[in-house]
Parts: sequence; C-alpha cells; structure tokens
Amino acid sequence: MFYHVSLEHDILLHPRYFGPNLLNTVKQKLFTEVEGTCTGKYGFVIAVTTIDNIGAGLIQPSRGFVVYPVKYKAIVFRPFKGEVLDAVVTQVNKVGLFTEIGPLSCFISRHSIPADMEFDPSSNPPCYKTKDEDVVIQEEDEIRLKIVGTRVDAKDIFAIGTLMDDFLGL
Amino acid sequence: MSDSEDSTFDSDAGEDKQGSDGEASTKNDGSDHNEDSDKEGSEKAADSDDEQENSRGKNVDDEAEESDGEEKDGDEEEPDGEDLIDDEDEYDEEEDEEEQTRVRKKKRKGALGFIIDEADVDDEDDDDDGEWEDGAEEIIDRKSTYDASEREIESHQRLRHIWESQREDEIEQYYRQKFGNVTTAERYGEGEEMSDEITQQGRLPGVKDPNLWVVKCRMGEEKTTVIHILRKMITYQFTEEPLQIKSVVAKEGLKGYIYIEAFKQTHVKQAIEGIGNLRMGYYKQQMVPIREMTDVLKVVKETASLKPKAWVRLKRGIFKDDLAQVDIVYPSQNEVELKLIPRIDYTRARGIMRNSANQDSKKRKRRPPQKLFDVDAIRAIGGEVTSDGDFLMFEGNRYNRKGFLFKVFAMSAIIAEGIKPTLAELEKFEDQPEGMQVELVPEKQESEVAHTMAPGDVVVVAEGELQHLQGKVIKVDGNKITILPKHEDLKASDPLEFPYNELRKYFKMGDHVKVIAGRYEGDTGLIVRVEDNVIVLFSDLTMHELKVLPKDIQLCADMATGVDSLGQYQFGDLVMLDPQTVGVIVRLEKENFQVLSMHNKVVNVKPQSITRKKDTRNAVSLDSENNNVQVRDIVNVIEGPHSGRTGEIKHLYRNFGFLNSRLMTENGGFFVCRTRHLTLAGGGKQNLTQAVNGFAPMSPRISSPAHPSGGGGGERGRGRGGGGVGAGAGRGGLSKRDREIIGQTVRIIHGPFKGYIGIVKDATETTARIELHSSCKTISVDRTRLSSLTGSKPAGGQTSTYAGRTPSYGGQTPIYGSRTPMYGSQTPLHDGSRTPHYGGATPSHESGGRTPSGGGMSAWDPSNANTPSRNNDFEYNYDDSPSPAEFGATPNPATPGYHADSPGPTGPYTPQTPGISTKIKFYLSFTTFCLLPAQSPGFVGTPSPATQSSPSPASFAGSPSPMGYNPMTPGAPFTPQTPGGGMETSLTDWYTTDIVVKIKPTHENSKLIYQTGVIKSISGTMCTLYLIDEEKTINITCEHLEPVPPNKGEKAKIIAGDERESTGSLMSVDGDEGVLKIDSKEEKAKILMLPIHFLCKMAD
Repeated sequence: MFYHVSLEHDILLHPRYFGPNLLNTVKQKLFTEVEGTCTGKYGFVIAVTTIDNIGAGLIQPSRGFVVYPVKYKAIVFRPFKGEVLDAVVTQVNKVGLFTEIGPLSCFISRHSIPADMEFDPSSNPPCYKTKDEDVVIQEEDEIRLKIVGTRVDAKDIFAIGTLMDDFLGL
Repeated sequence: MSDSEDSTFDSDAGEDKQGSDGEASTKNDGSDHNEDSDKEGSEKAADSDDEQENSRGKNVDDEAEESDGEEKDGDEEEPDGEDLIDDEDEYDEEEDEEEQTRVRKKKRKGALGFIIDEADVDDEDDDDDGEWEDGAEEIIDRKSTYDASEREIESHQRLRHIWESQREDEIEQYYRQKFGNVTTAERYGEGEEMSDEITQQGRLPGVKDPNLWVVKCRMGEEKTTVIHILRKMITYQFTEEPLQIKSVVAKEGLKGYIYIEAFKQTHVKQAIEGIGNLRMGYYKQQMVPIREMTDVLKVVKETASLKPKAWVRLKRGIFKDDLAQVDIVYPSQNEVELKLIPRIDYTRARGIMRNSANQDSKKRKRRPPQKLFDVDAIRAIGGEVTSDGDFLMFEGNRYNRKGFLFKVFAMSAIIAEGIKPTLAELEKFEDQPEGMQVELVPEKQESEVAHTMAPGDVVVVAEGELQHLQGKVIKVDGNKITILPKHEDLKASDPLEFPYNELRKYFKMGDHVKVIAGRYEGDTGLIVRVEDNVIVLFSDLTMHELKVLPKDIQLCADMATGVDSLGQYQFGDLVMLDPQTVGVIVRLEKENFQVLSMHNKVVNVKPQSITRKKDTRNAVSLDSENNNVQVRDIVNVIEGPHSGRTGEIKHLYRNFGFLNSRLMTENGGFFVCRTRHLTLAGGGKQNLTQAVNGFAPMSPRISSPAHPSGGGGGERGRGRGGGGVGAGAGRGGLSKRDREIIGQTVRIIHGPFKGYIGIVKDATETTARIELHSSCKTISVDRTRLSSLTGSKPAGGQTSTYAGRTPSYGGQTPIYGSRTPMYGSQTPLHDGSRTPHYGGATPSHESGGRTPSGGGMSAWDPSNANTPSRNNDFEYNYDDSPSPAEFGATPNPATPGYHADSPGPTGPYTPQTPGISTKIKFYLSFTTFCLLPAQSPGFVGTPSPATQSSPSPASFAGSPSPMGYNPMTPGAPFTPQTPGGGMETSLTDWYTTDIVVKIKPTHENSKLIYQTGVIKSISGTMCTLYLIDEEKTINITCEHLEPVPPNKGEKAKIIAGDERESTGSLMSVDGDEGVLKIDSKEEKAKILMLPIHFLCKMAD
C-alpha cells in the first residue's frame, strides 16, 4: 500500500560542501540518501515529494561535519499481509516463483501455487503450467498475488505470496 | 491369553488384590461380579455370609481343581473360562446380600475390567435409584451403557443357557468370543459412553450431596481397612443402626488416609468406631471442601502420558517386566493395546496332541522364553492358528505377521513411567525403526521439561473439551502452561491452565519463525505451508525449504543470524576441504556444514574436517575477455551450467570463481564457475586490459593471496608480473628505473617496518635498500611495500619492467606507443613518455572505480585518494553524474581505462623517443575529447578524460586525486606524446580486411604469438586470419591482433580517422607521421599526412 507520509532524516554533510549551494546539496543528498531505501516501519521510500524544513545544521565536534535535520514528505510503499498486488516474475524454479513488486521481492512457494499447476523444468524458460497449458507462468510474466507474510528487516522487506485465491495468477 | 488368565486369578484370589487395581474401591469389585451372577442364576448359589473367607477358600479350591489343566495349559482358554465362571459363582454368593446395600452401588463405576460386563448392566438401576451423586463420578469411567443393556441381558440369558447345558466347549467358545479381543468400548458401544460423560457435567457435587471425610489410617492398611468397613457395613445393615456412610474409598497412591463419604461426621465416626486401623483417625476427620471433592477422586491423567509408540513394562503375569510398546490407548476403558513379544511355550503340545503331553505335572509352569510368534512351530505342536485380517489368531491372541503379540491390558497392569528400554530389548522391536526414532528422543527429555513452549507462543488445544481453542501462552510453569484463550465467549482476562501435552503450537502461513531445535536449529524463515505435523519453512538465509515439526519452531521477529556462523566459520566462507579442493560454506547446520566445492558438488562436512579458511581478498583472475576480475566484482556467466547468470564474485581460487547471486535459490545463492566463463559486467572488451594482459597475472602466483601486495596489490602485482614477463623476454633494462627511484624518500607501507620513512639508497627490480630516517639502519624492502612520499608510488618497479618489455615490440614505431593521457595522467610524473600506458592501466584498478572493492589498503594509499570509495557516506558527489559506485548504474564502475574502448593499437610498449615533434602529433591525434584533460591539468575534477563518456568515480569532483599531480603540463616536453593515446579511442574498430596484423602475446597459443597474418574477413569480433608464415587460415578474436605499420613505399590502409578504409602507398615517414598517397582513379592523387598508427600495412 502506498502512503504519503512525513518523515525526518538527518543529513551529514562534509565541510567541503559548505558554500552557496549548501542547501541544494542538502536537498540533493536527501534524495539520494532516502529514495530507494527501506525501513521496516514505513516500507520502501519511493520518492520524496516535498522538503518541508531543513533545520539548523549542527557542527559535529571535532569532525567538522554538519548534521542537518530534514523534514520531508515522501511516498512510501509498505506491503501488508493480505494485500493483493501485481508482480513481475523474475525467477521460476522448483521451489516456487520469485517475483518483484517494484522494490519488493516476493516469493511464492510451490505450496502456494494451485495444485493443478505444475513445474515444468524442461520448457524454456522453465515455467509453472496447468496440464492443458491453459495457464503458463514463466519469467517476465505479470501475475497477481496475495501477500501472506512479510519479513521485515532493518533494511529490507521480503514477502511471501500465494496464488491460492480467486482471481490470482496470470 | 495367559495374562488375562492371570488377572482373573488375581481377582479371584482376593479382594485386596482387586482393590489394588486402580482407584476402585472394594465394593466395586464385589458388585461387579455380583450382578452378573445374579442374572445368571447361580446353580451353585452357595450363600455364605462370610463370603470373603469362603470365596477365598473356594478360589483356592477352584484353583486347585483347575490346577491340573492350568499348569498344563496355562495359556489356554479353557481353564480360563471355567475360572471365570467359578468366580462368578463365588461372587454370587457375596452378592445376594450385598445387592441390597445401597452403599456399594455407588462405587461400581470404578470397576476396571475384570469380568465387568455383566456387572455393568445393573448400573442402570443404580443410576436410576437416584443415589448417584458422587462428584467423582464424572471422572471415573462409567460403564453405564443404557444402550447395550438389552443386548447384554440377552447375552446373559444365553450365557445362562449355556451354563445350564454345561457344555464345556460351548462355554469356552462363549468366553473366547466375549473376551477374545474385544475392547470394552466395542462391547459397550462408545457413543453412548461419550454422551454419558457429557451429561455428567451437571453432576458435580453440591451442598446437598454427602461430604467426603478424610480419615487417617494405618499406613499400608488402607485397602484392608476399606474391606473391613465393608464387612462392618454388611454386618450392620439389618441391625437397628446400619452404617449410614455412603462409601469408603482408598485412593491409590495416597498412603495413610482413606475417604469416607457420608452426610454427617457422626456417621463417619460410627463407621470407623472399633476399627483398629483407623484408631488414629477416630478423633479427627477432616471434611473435604465441596470444590475439592472432585479432585480427590480425580484420576490423575497418567493415561494421557501413555501415547502410542511409548514403551511400557508389564507388572505381572508371565510378561512381567517385559517391554511392550503401546499400540492403541483406550483411555475411557483404562486399557491399552500393547505390542509385545509373546511368550509361548512351544514345548507343550496343544489341541489333539495335547493328551499325550498332559501327564507331566510340574507345579507352576516355568516362564516360556520370549520369542516371536512362529506359526510353524505352533502347528508342529498341534496348535491351531486362524487368521483374522492381517493378524494371526492363536489361543485368542492376535499376532501380527512379524510375530508380535497384540493384546489389550488394563492400565493398571503396566508401568508406563520411567521406562528405559535397554538396547537389547529395543533391538527385538527394531522391526519398526521409524516408530522408535520418533519416540526415543522425547523419552530422554521426559525427565525435564518436555516441551518448548514459551510465553508469547500461539497455541491450540489439541485434546479435551476445549479442543481447537486458540490462545496465547502467558505463563509456563514446568509442564503446566497458562494460556490466554482467544475466543469471544471466553473472557480474555481469564487465563486457562493446561498440561503441556494438551497444547500444540499453532502457526499459520506467513508467520516468521525460528527453529529452536533439531537439525535446522537457529534458522529462521517464513512459513509457506502448514500441514498436520509438519511445517514448511522458507529459510531466510539459504532460500531453501525446510520441513520442521511445529514443536521445534517459535514465532520470532528477527532474522537468523545464528546459523550463519559456527565456530570460526561463517556462511559464505571459503574453506579448504583438502589440500587440492576448496569450497564455500553454503549452509550451516547444527553440527555440520554444507560446502559447495569448486567442483560444483555440495558436500556435508564437519567443522573439524575443514582445514582452514582461505583468504582470497586479493586474488585476481582473468575472465573470458581477459579482464582482471577480483573478489566483489560483478560478473556475468557466459558459459557453463550457470550460463546467463549474473553474480558477485565472493571468492577466487585458482581459476575458479565462487559467485553469489540473490536469484539463485540453491546453495544459498552460491555457485562456482571457471573464471574463463565469466565476463566482467560493465567491462566490455578491453583493449586496455589486453594491453595490460601481457603483464597481467596469468599465473596464479600473482593472484595468490600469499602475494604481499595489499590493496594496491592489483597494480603492483601486475607490474611485477610484467616484470617477470619482461625478464622472460630477455631484456633487463632495469638500471634506469632503479636509478630513478634512488634518492627518493619513501614510506614503507607493509611489513614490520610499516610506516617508516626512508631514502632509497639502492634498488633492484624487486627490492630496494632503504635508509631509514628514524633509526640509522639500511634495510632491504620489497619494492611493492614502498610508497613514495612524493605522492605516487615508486613506480620504478613497474616501469622498469616495461622498459624491459618494450624491446619485444621493437619493430613498432613509436606511434603505437602513444600514451594516452587518459592512462597516463598519473605516470608521466616518473617518465613522461614511457610509463603512461602502464600508468594508464593502473587507474583502471587502482584509481578507477574498482579500487574501492580492491581492498582496504588503497584507502590509505595516498596515490589512491582520488577513488571515491564505495561506501563513503560523506563523499557525496551530487554535482556529478551519478557515480556508478553510488548508484549502481554499472556494477563495476567503468574506469576511464576501460572506457577507452580502443581495441587495437595498444602496442604502446615502445617507449617514445623524446624529441618527436610533438606539436603536430598532438594536434593530429587530437581527434577526440581525450586530450582535453591532458592539456589542462587545471581542469578540476577531470583527472580522467573518460568523464565525458562515462560515469566514472574517477571523475569525482574535488576529490584529491593523484591525477591532481598530473604532470602533463602543456609545456612538459613529453606531454604531447600522450595525446596519442587519444587515438586509441578513435581506433576502436580498426579491424578491416586485407591488412597485415600481428598476433599479440595475449593469445593463448604461444605458437601464434607474434606471427603475422592477413585479415581475410571479419565477423563480429572474430577475424579469419591468413598466417603468412604457416600459410594457413585461422580464426582469431580481434583483440589479439595489432596492426603492422607500413614501411615506406608499402601499400597501406587507413584504419582510423575520417579516411578509414582508404588505401594508398606510404610515401615517406616523418617521425610518427606518415605521408600517404591515396590510391585514386582520379588523376590527382590525394596526399595525406597521417599518424603512422592510423595506417596499417596491406597484404600484397
């Protein structure tokens, strides 16, 4: 699910950037440091929309670096259990499907793929398909899945999904 | 059958023995038997009031009478039957009086299972008469079977009939049928029983019910005392003052007390008055509070601990002390079906052969040895074996095909606790190893806390009334677990307590759990499947699926880190399996590793069998395109089983690379490839590297970690390698270089003298004599361990090797040796014209983007300061194009060197002769961007010309860069030559047909090196080359070729620049300029002046 949230971030700036462009640097640095990261609480930070406030910089004793507290708004993507999402299959093997939902990687276990779909290692690329080859899921395919569990680490989120529900799959 | 026989005897033999069976009170026994015989109508109907004595005596008699048969046929049914009947008779006698006593009716529920059936019939009456109020009722198994009664009555009638007919065999058959193998449940109909149990919910004792009094009793005499009271009761019952107590209970396991149920304490006193054993309890009887009454008679659920496959021992009978395995538990009947090894006396004849053997009359039979049932042996002695489904029936017992006996025993006849089967015993049962495996392990734990539940676990009640109730564990106290139920109807604030074995951990798909026991202990993962008894996890670490038992896992929020190291080894370490083989640890289990060896096999090893870790941080190898690849490089696999994959090099060993790809699920993402099957991602075809290749570490010697060079080792290693080759080429040429370094102030950067500063006094190719500043000493130091304090390395070592090398290219004109500023920006410091090329190579690894991956050293190396290290958080180059290191646009930030995609004329080994008219050349070669930076050393942030063409870490703004030392001030005499390097870029695709080329020493086939040939055709990067000397045609990749410059008067083809593909003849050579007369059909021939390296000799 996507959210537009207010977040804070501290920017540590090397003294070499002190100059007329300083605030610009801070902003730029914010973008690079924040966008594309992931926190367990908010999920993936997709994009910074606005920078609300750049606080007063605090020089670090004995280092010369300056810390700027920055308040900004960003669009974040946080996957939830039970959420239904579209994903792109990145890998197909006998244990299941690996998919990507934007920045989120999601694994669909063989157990969570309807039993009538079987892994066909001989086809190229390998795929899961029904007997009549009505449905074939292979790499690069876009499928719809439901998230059944997430593992949230400090820096990453990993999800497992299922296709065992109505309207899931291709 | 012998066992049942035994138990029958027991019961016959005396009341007290019966009493000892379970919780039953004395009266039970009596009543049980009584009622039967009632119905049967006893012929024997002996009516003695002192039935106890009598019956006992009688029993003895009976036994004596039977003894003959019994001794002989201890295992047979027949005597059994007779016994039973006798019993009944005897009990008849008792009953007559007893029947009326209300007291006894009460207790008959506890009857455990002797000849109970008939007795139970009467329960109905009892129940009906309203006396039934004991709270204990609900717990003790009630045998009341409303349903069955009709059937039972009928059967009694039949029995009577049979009895009357007095036909022995019929009776035998009757009993055989009746007791042969039927469980009580079958006999009574289970459904009714169940429903009955439920109705008992409402029968908890209340205030209107009689109370229970605890009376002190002489220790060990509890049961006799109860019988005593019973007799007293009987004696008094028709007197004026019959005893008014309701029941007397001796609780099994409770020493020194009996319970008496009565409305008033005076009734109790009356009952115990005059009974010696109770003298000490006479003055004080304690009333049991109503709430606790049920607990008094609660059958402590030992039976619950009796699970199928558990081991038990028999208490008595011929199987006494034998080990048996529980097959089925009938908790409601207090019976278990055991699997055990039969003891059949094969020496005794049966059936028709019996008579002959009948005579030998030893007293008590000796115990036949344990032996699996042997059909043939039985038949041999005349026994009759029938089959019943999968089982064989013999003398009423069931044997399975493997010869084990399956038999129902009363719970009281077995010992279930603390059984430790000996190995020998287990071996006899080993037919079913699976079962044993399962049970043996828990057995060990039994002594301690046998579960792994912890507060916070979600559990579900597995048995009992609250089955399927979910809850969360809030407290664990030994084997008692308090849970907070999760159910609307149960208040959440109302915790419930359960024994651990009634609870089961509950997990659902998607839970993140940690394995806390078993083989995968320590691993964590997400549950992808929940089956009955198995949970399938998807491991976080290894991306494997693991099957674990629910009891072995626990909800857990954090990811496994525990399993990624074991002792000194970690997941992903390179270890030596044996002196020739290395492997990467791809999985750590509790006690062993799975190691992916370099031969692409996964082996299981113990930590002890691994010799040591290998450090490959500094290893360098060559990929298919002769790029140097190092640990942490991202590479593509182009050949072999993993073709098509991309991965990061985790380890290098000889020519094997251990790669890791997140997309691989097997082996934790690790796979092994030959480095020749790899290409460096973002590298492309490197001419530069090829140029370097001559000097590149072809031999593992260089890439070996033993090589002393540290982070900067890439460069220096290469340099030294080059040195080796140079020496091989037979040229020394060292002196100049060496001299150059002499006198320099250097810092030692490695080894014991690390950090020392000194002056180079003398130097050879590999070592230098350093006079230290600090102490008055002169020491010899490996040249690779020196760092020039002038800001760049004492490149002497390297450069000298080039010098040595150059001659091998002797024939080449300086043109090819043009130094590109792009490479050379550094080196000119030392020697303007010569080194640039090699210097150029250097940045590709050292100052280039790849350096950071190279190793820690370089960060401290002043000459490397320009490289933005990958993870430098404050080096924020927002004002540049995204640097590859930061943004990962290119996995291996292409260094300027790499980008000079000039395949060809990289024969820049020839030292340029100084004194060339640089100006012209400069402008001529000034064809591309390349020169710009070279010209303007002040050009900030573009130490590398590649800035414009590629995002390069080297283009990092403002970073202190050795490039900053760029000596190429425009005025420098040699500078102009460097621009020639720019050419290389422009010469990217110089290959064309009909030109004469020479095979470079980079080619694998040494026979071909330096041969000349004519390119006949080109397809992609492959050329068809006609070898002039050998007069044959070969296919060769273009990268191994270099153009042969034309001599004066020869035909030449322009291979670069605007006029490419034009042909002409070389009129003259002026320095490294050639004057070419273009062939033309027009009259006026065009004459061009071109750098000679734009030209290539043409085939005649």
